[in-house]
Amino acid sequence: MRFGIFYELSVPRPFAPGVERAVYENALEQVRLADELGFDTVWAVEHHFLEEYSHCSAPELFLTACAMQTKQIRVGHGAVVCVPKMNHPVRIAERAAVLDILSGGRLELGTARSSTWTELAGFEIDPDTTKQTWDETIRALPRMWTEERFSWQGASFSVPERAILPKPVQTPHPPLWVTVTSPGTELDAAERGIGCLGVAAASFKEQERRTAEYRRRIESCTPIGAVNSQVATLNFLYCHEDPAQAASTGLAMLGLFGQSNAQLLFTREAYPTRAYGSLANLAPAPARREGSPGDASGVPEGMAIGDPDRIVRAIKEWESIGVDGVNFLLNAMEVIPQEKVLASLRLFAREVMPVFRKKGGA
Amino acid sequence: MLTGSADLERFARGAPRLASFDGEPLTLPGVELLQVTYELGGCAPESPFPPALLPTLPVLAVLALWRAESGPLGRFALAQLRLSCRSGVRPRQLLVASFADGEPARAALNERFAFGARAARIRLERFYDRVEGGVDVDGANALEVTGLSPLPLAATDLQFFSSMHRAETPKGLRLLQVDSELHVTRAERAQPRLTCFSADAFQLGPARLAHPVAAFVAVCDVTLPRVRFVCRADVPAFAGTERVG
Repeated sequence: MRFGIFYELSVPRPFAPGVERAVYENALEQVRLADELGFDTVWAVEHHFLEEYSHCSAPELFLTACAMQTKQIRVGHGAVVCVPKMNHPVRIAERAAVLDILSGGRLELGTARSSTWTELAGFEIDPDTTKQTWDETIRALPRMWTEERFSWQGASFSVPERAILPKPVQTPHPPLWVTVTSPGTELDAAERGIGCLGVAAASFKEQERRTAEYRRRIESCTPIGAVNSQVATLNFLYCHEDPAQAASTGLAMLGLFGQSNAQLLFTREAYPTRAYGSLANLAPAPARREGSPGDASGVPEGMAIGDPDRIVRAIKEWESIGVDGVNFLLNAMEVIPQEKVLASLRLFAREVMPVFRKKGGA
Repeated sequence: MLTGSADLERFARGAPRLASFDGEPLTLPGVELLQVTYELGGCAPESPFPPALLPTLPVLAVLALWRAESGPLGRFALAQLRLSCRSGVRPRQLLVASFADGEPARAALNERFAFGARAARIRLERFYDRVEGGVDVDGANALEVTGLSPLPLAATDLQFFSSMHRAETPKGLRLLQVDSELHVTRAERAQPRLTCFSADAFQLGPARLAHPVAAFVAVCDVTLPRVRFVCRADVPAFAGTERVG
């Protein structure tokens, strides 16, 4: 079982001078500690214009800073938006290669197509075309990284013969992933032989279905590059010896994440199209609602919020349904003071991580 | 978080009166619908909403024109302006202004669901390559809108949201949650074109329709069920929502 930390870089209002910088500096301090504690990967999203929810519009810069301040932890785009009007495919390949070089071969490259009207309209992107441009981009990336000279004649971009420079350190290239929010994307991942990076909280049942489908389908994939057959899920982490305090603090984080997520304007809500499904809130469903599993503390099922024993039980459940990695959001809107976030990471590394490392996890 | 910041006194001014929450449900068969959506600009996103509601970012201004040829209210047309928002975490649209063409329908919609519809002449006309809609209020043109080059969609490609109607009720000023159910039998996406829009007539204050998003035309059976939930306007919906039906 691999453990990652995952950043949206949410920033609470009011946007006073220094607030965004403090969020970034807190995150970097957490990343340095996570590296020392043995976490496997730090992931950063790419979002634009999403007030409060995510001020992470240049993740390649944040991840470069992470790489420069750490030794072991891998750095992951979770994910780069593969739509040429937002990121030209050549620029994606170039930036990724540089980050792979600077990090000493520690890059993971998640890919996505953006899910909000706010972002797509901000770059004048036609929602009907994003699946196609994502598909075209991810098929071109391995070739740009591995061929001495590359050319492409496609529907969404074309490049005359050019040397795409530099080349990444990892051979044949950094692992590729796709973010999964709506059902069905796991099949897109499997068919292309790329990893399945969950970025919305999923129930055990949904993740089990998704993982089984993925495992079944990837057996017969037509790989677009080196096969990455990992499945990772998104979670929230707040670990404290006192279960009540853990629940109270962790639920405050979940609540704020859910509220900030609620103000997003998903594409389908604005624009009638079959290219995007209806997305519910990306936060886990609250426990104790009728039909919502969870426990008496109010913590939704599977969330890594609680004392170490509870978190071990939750992660064992994820492990049993075939998930290879769990990535944790550590905070939302800075509602948890930094020292508590760091203490939670330390306690998790001391009491939870060894249970899974003993089993031979990386 | 950005929460609604409208002045409550001003928000309450002119709110329709709702005598009871027992308004009979209504089913309208074969309603023709033109809906045109723009991003709202020219104002802070939270400013049109009471504290109960949160704006989406950006706020969408939704112009919806209905034309019913038959049914319990007879022949009538309705024009609405709604703004996209959230009640708690749930997607909603706040009804800002509405107009009805057809007196029995106007009275019924106002009495049962607090549409607050004013009388107007409303046109909705289908051509080969477009659907045109218009609203004349007191003899002046308040809206001219077109959905150009309609292309077929699946009925399930359209999304509809419950709307929130302000009203003076037996419980005081409340937002009624009107859970319209639309059973779509024909759906087409079109390009939006707006040639006339009176922000004054649609009570939009300094805001403007800033950036075109989409248009669609549809034929649907519309059901307006009995109101089940209302919420106070002055506190977040988490705290101020009550069941009434």
